[in-house]
Amino acid sequence: MISLSGLTKEFPGGVRAVDSLDLEIGDGEFFALLGPSGCGKTTLLRSIAGLETPTSGKIRISGNDVTALPPGRRNVAMVFQDYALFPHMDVTSNIAYPLRIKKVSRSRREARAAETASRLSLSELLARRPGQLSGGQQQRVALARAIASHPQVFLFDEPLSNLDARLRLEARTFLKRLQRELAVTTVFVTHDQGEALALADRIAVMNAGRIMQVGTPSEVFHRPIGTFVAGFIGSTPMNLLPASAEGGRLHVAGAVLPLPGDIADGPLVYGLRPEYADLSQSAPTGRRDVFSGKVAVVENLGAAHLVTLDSGDLLIQVVVPEGDEPAVGAPAWAVPRTGRALLYRDDRLLTVA
Amino acid sequence: MSQADPSGLGRARAVGFVLPGLVLIGVFLVFPALWTIYLGLTDYRLTGLAAADPQVVGVDNYTTALGDERFRNSLWLTLQYVLGSAVIGQAVLGFAIAWVLRNRPGPVKRITEGLVLLAWILPSSVVAFLWIALLDRDDGTLNTLLHTPGFAWLLDYPMLSIIVFNVWRGTAFSMMLYGAALENVPPSHLETARLAGASTLQQLRDVVFPRIKGHVLTNLLLISLWTFNDFTSFQLTAGGPEGRSEILPVYIYNVALSGGQLGFGAAISFLVLLINLVFAFVYLRLLRDRRKVVVP
Repeated sequence: MISLSGLTKEFPGGVRAVDSLDLEIGDGEFFALLGPSGCGKTTLLRSIAGLETPTSGKIRISGNDVTALPPGRRNVAMVFQDYALFPHMDVTSNIAYPLRIKKVSRSRREARAAETASRLSLSELLARRPGQLSGGQQQRVALARAIASHPQVFLFDEPLSNLDARLRLEARTFLKRLQRELAVTTVFVTHDQGEALALADRIAVMNAGRIMQVGTPSEVFHRPIGTFVAGFIGSTPMNLLPASAEGGRLHVAGAVLPLPGDIADGPLVYGLRPEYADLSQSAPTGRRDVFSGKVAVVENLGAAHLVTLDSGDLLIQVVVPEGDEPAVGAPAWAVPRTGRALLYRDDRLLTVA
Repeated sequence: MSQADPSGLGRARAVGFVLPGLVLIGVFLVFPALWTIYLGLTDYRLTGLAAADPQVVGVDNYTTALGDERFRNSLWLTLQYVLGSAVIGQAVLGFAIAWVLRNRPGPVKRITEGLVLLAWILPSSVVAFLWIALLDRDDGTLNTLLHTPGFAWLLDYPMLSIIVFNVWRGTAFSMMLYGAALENVPPSHLETARLAGASTLQQLRDVVFPRIKGHVLTNLLLISLWTFNDFTSFQLTAGGPEGRSEILPVYIYNVALSGGQLGFGAAISFLVLLINLVFAFVYLRLLRDRRKVVVP
């Protein structure tokens, strides 16, 4: 278990990369630190590794305070974005390197390297140098080096970002299965919300050195606690529209929607994922709970299309199944599905509409 | 445009551009070198009969030199000088400074680099004068600092003095070269070693040196050649006392110009040239072997 309390890292010049942060990561958990670049997620990961010294706060691993320990004595292994394989060593020596530093005998460490390599289907490549390996193979060697030293914690810095798109999906599935099998607490950093949703047991969404929300992928996707998380999670950005509650009705972009329960009158933000609205190309008769507009842009997503409606001075995006896409310039109506929209006031989630 | 003529000048114009350079090299480098080889085979002197009418004496100069105690002593001193001040002093100290400064914030790094660089760019006569003032027996700065009045550093420890002097003088080059080389070492590699628990020495052995091996060899080649041919120490000790700091360049000067034996001096110059070529050959060979290993 990793537990962080009041962790702060301030760089010279006054930049607070991590700002009094508290976090608990459970044993065997696959945990994602997700956020835009510069949000402090990598600094946080490097602080857990011991590569950055926190300005204040405590880091505990399995109950032991490691805040003052050097990286080599924390029993953690890190896989870097560039894999950091030593070019002058073959695959065996690379995998066995941490064991060599720990003075494990040559025969034992080579056996351990071979065993780890076979688990990651690297047995054929043991005598090669990193320069003779593909990107995917290099990543597996870096993983093998981390695994072979049997650490308490794995730390991955953007583990998939140096792979090309097709390989990335394969590696993602592989990584998830590997982590399940090893059941070692794993923290990884990513800026790709899809990667975080797909891999992690829990996600911490970060912005400007603070954690905005911690939760399971389903929680951060369906119940984003604030508009930052709402806008950051999801492969197509959520529609966040200014709205207002008046006399038990919700007024959004020309539509009038029923207002759930106990919400006082006043301004709101209405959040609706493009996937949770249907597009109608004929005017729904007698309904006021729809957004009307003109089709401004149609983007092909493969099996679906992302349609952007121009509704007055607002833009509303709707995902439309293939075959149903409207012509650009045609009038269209977006019908929100009930129970899928999120209402925010003062940047806090109030309820689901 | 053909592969053989990427600039599109044509052979005649290309030769026209290169010719002035070749002529200068011929006149000022190749001809004097050949002339030195010729002189080394004669008994040419600065003054007297042999100056007017030098006689070819064959390899006499070489056999005399190789049999001469003073020459062999000078060669031995030169090796000490190269090993002590270049290979051990400048290279090790230069690397150490570069390593310590690599992550330092701006002002510390800039001031240290500036001071080290200053020792390198000052004219050698100025530097020599500074060091004579430092090491002087009567009013020298060092004696004042150490409270050892009357201690004659340049007389009692002439080799040590010029070795320390040359380390001080030449470390800047190694420092800058290694400083640039260390920027080629990816931080993630050092951090991987640190996470494995590697000590600083293990990080240097496993991560840094394999990366900068080429830089190390180039650095050692250049500084050992420069130091082998360095004449600045003449301004401190003039080879003395009693030849105890008479490294080869100083020896040649003393024999050929002070002693007037130009033919003999030329022969020894040629020997120095051969030794330099051996140095260069060995280093280049090491560099080439290394490239073969790296590129599979």
